[in-house]
Amino acid sequence: MIKAVSPLDEVHDDEPPVERRMVHVRVLRQDAPGQESYWERHAVPYEPNMNVISVLQKIAERARAEDGREVSPVAWDCNCLEEVCGSCTMLVNGRSRMACSALVDRLLAESPGEIELRPMSKFPVVRDLKVDRGRLFRALERVKAWVPVDGSYDHGPGPRISPEEQEDAYPLSECMSCGCCLEACPQYTKIEVVRRDDESEADFEHRRAAAYDRGFLGAHAISQAVLFNGHPTGKMIADERLESLTSAGGIQMCGNAQNCVAVCPKHIPLTRSIARAGRAATVWAIKKLFDR
Amino acid sequence: MPSVPASRRRLGKYKFGFRRRQIGSGALPVEEANLYSSRPAQPDSHRGHPVNASDSHSSFFARNQFLIYRLFSLSGLIPVGAFLMVHLATNASVLAGPGSFQSRVDLIHSLGPLLVPIEWAFIFLPMLFHAAVGFVIIAGGLPNVGSYPYVGNVRYTLQRATGMIAFAFIIWHVIQLHWMGAPLGGGKFDPHHASSSTAVALQPIGVAALYAIGVLSAVFHLANGLWTLGITWGLWTSPAAMRRASWVSVIVGILLGGAGLGAIAGMRRVDIEQARVIEDRMDEVKRMLEGREPVGGPAVLGPGASPALPVSATKTSEGG
Repeated sequence: MIKAVSPLDEVHDDEPPVERRMVHVRVLRQDAPGQESYWERHAVPYEPNMNVISVLQKIAERARAEDGREVSPVAWDCNCLEEVCGSCTMLVNGRSRMACSALVDRLLAESPGEIELRPMSKFPVVRDLKVDRGRLFRALERVKAWVPVDGSYDHGPGPRISPEEQEDAYPLSECMSCGCCLEACPQYTKIEVVRRDDESEADFEHRRAAAYDRGFLGAHAISQAVLFNGHPTGKMIADERLESLTSAGGIQMCGNAQNCVAVCPKHIPLTRSIARAGRAATVWAIKKLFDR
Repeated sequence: MPSVPASRRRLGKYKFGFRRRQIGSGALPVEEANLYSSRPAQPDSHRGHPVNASDSHSSFFARNQFLIYRLFSLSGLIPVGAFLMVHLATNASVLAGPGSFQSRVDLIHSLGPLLVPIEWAFIFLPMLFHAAVGFVIIAGGLPNVGSYPYVGNVRYTLQRATGMIAFAFIIWHVIQLHWMGAPLGGGKFDPHHASSSTAVALQPIGVAALYAIGVLSAVFHLANGLWTLGITWGLWTSPAAMRRASWVSVIVGILLGGAGLGAIAGMRRVDIEQARVIEDRMDEVKRMLEGREPVGGPAVLGPGASPALPVSATKTSEGG
C-alpha cells in the first residue's frame, strides 16, 4: 500500500517516523517429535530481496513473537542457500519449495499480507520446520542409486558415455534429494515410527527401516534408478533396481498425478523417468515370467 | 523385505569377480552392509524364515503388489473398458430405430446359455476386481488438489471421484435393468423388448439425469485411465508423447460420451407403443425361424411389416 505523501509532510520532524514495513509470518511450530503443533506469528522488518531463510534468520535474531512474547527461535534446516543442497524444503504458503529460493517479494505478490511456513507434512517433524527425511534416503538405498565401483583397487577406465546419453542423464543427476516431489505427491503418505519405551535404538531403527521399505519409493528414487540403469557401469545391477522398483511400494504406487514434475525445483523430467521405469518394469516382468 | 536374499544371491553371482579380488582388502563386510542392505548380512540358512517384523508383515497383497496393480491397470481396458465401448455403441444404435437396437440385443442374446458365464467372466468379475483394487488405491492416497491445482492433479482426483461414482452407478444400473435385479424390484430390461422396456425405465427425468452422470463418469474414467495406463505400462514416456496421448484420450472421451448421451436421449425419444409393435414382430420372426410357435398365435406378417429384419437372428438360428 503506497500512500501519496506531500512534500510538506516530510518537514514535520516532531511526528513519529513512518513505521517500517513489516513482513508478517505465520509459523507452524512443534517442540519435539510426537508433540502437538501450534501456530505462532512473527513480524520482521522488510528488506528488499529477502528470502524465507533471511526471514527465519531475522526471527531467530529477535526471538520474540509478534505479540512481544519471548520465544525460542524457530528451528529450520538449511545449508547452501543457492538451491543445490536440498535441505531447506518446507511448505511456504502451502506449497512445497526451497526456502532459499522462495523470495519474499514474490511471495507477497502471490498472497499479500502474510507468509505461512509449515514443516513438510510427509516426514516426521524433529522440531518446528526441521523434519527427518530418512525415508527419502532409505528409498535411494532401496533402488541402489549408485554406480557399484567401490573397492580398494583400480578398476580401470569406465565405458565411454556418448554426448546424447550425457544430455539425457544430466537433468536426472541434478536431483538434490529435497523431497518437494514427495511432499506434493498424493500417493506418498507419511510414515512416522515412534520409538517404544522398551525398545533399543537398534531395534527401533530396524523397525523404522522395515516400515519405510513397505512405503512408496517416490518419484526421486524412481528417477535415480532410471539414471543409474542408463549408466553403462550402473546398469550392471539394473535387474536389482528393477526388482526393487517392482517390489511392495514400488513404481506401481504411482497414481500419475504428475505433481512431482510440476513442483520439482530443478525441473527434472520426473514423469518421463517414471514412464521409462514403467516400460522397463513391463519388459522386466515379462522376462521374469518367461525366463523363470 | 523378501527381495533382499534374492537380490543378494544374484548380486553374488555378478559380483563374484569383484569379491575374489577384494578378499585381501578386507573391505568386503563393509561393502556388503552398505551396498546390499543396511542390516547385517544373514546366513543363507535363515532365508525364508520370518527374521523380522517386515517379513512377517508382508502379506499376499504386498508380495504381489506389482502384479495386482498391473492386472488392475490392464483390467480397466481389457475387458472392462472394451466392454464399455461395445455397450455404449450398442445402446447408441437405438438412434437408428428400435429395430436396429433390438437386432443387436438379439445378437448378444443368441449366446443363449453361454451368456451368463461370459457376463461373469468378462464383465462382472473383472469389474469387481478393478473396483476392489481401486478402492484400496483410493484409500491409500491423499488428494491435495487444493494445494497443488495442476491439471494432472485435477485429473488424478477426478479419476478417483469418477471411479467411485461409476461404481455406485453400475450397481444401481445392474439392479435396475439386469434380470438379476428383479428380486430387488428392478430387472426392468426385457431382451425381447429391448428399446421399449429401456425407454420405460428411463422415462423419469431424474433417472435419465443420474444415467447421464453415471455414464459420463464411466467415460471420463475410461478415457483418462487410457492415458494413465499408457504411462504405467511405458507406452508413452516423453512429455510430448504424453501430450499427444492426452489428445487421443480427449477424442475417445468425446466419442464415447457422445455415444452414451446419445443412447440415453435416443432411448427417451423412443415411441414406446410403436417400438413394442416392432419388437413383437421381430420376436415372431425369430420364433418362426427357430421353428417354435409364436406365443400370441400365428404370425401376422404383412408385406414390409418388419422394418428391420434381424439378419443376426437369422444367422444365429441357422447356426444353432
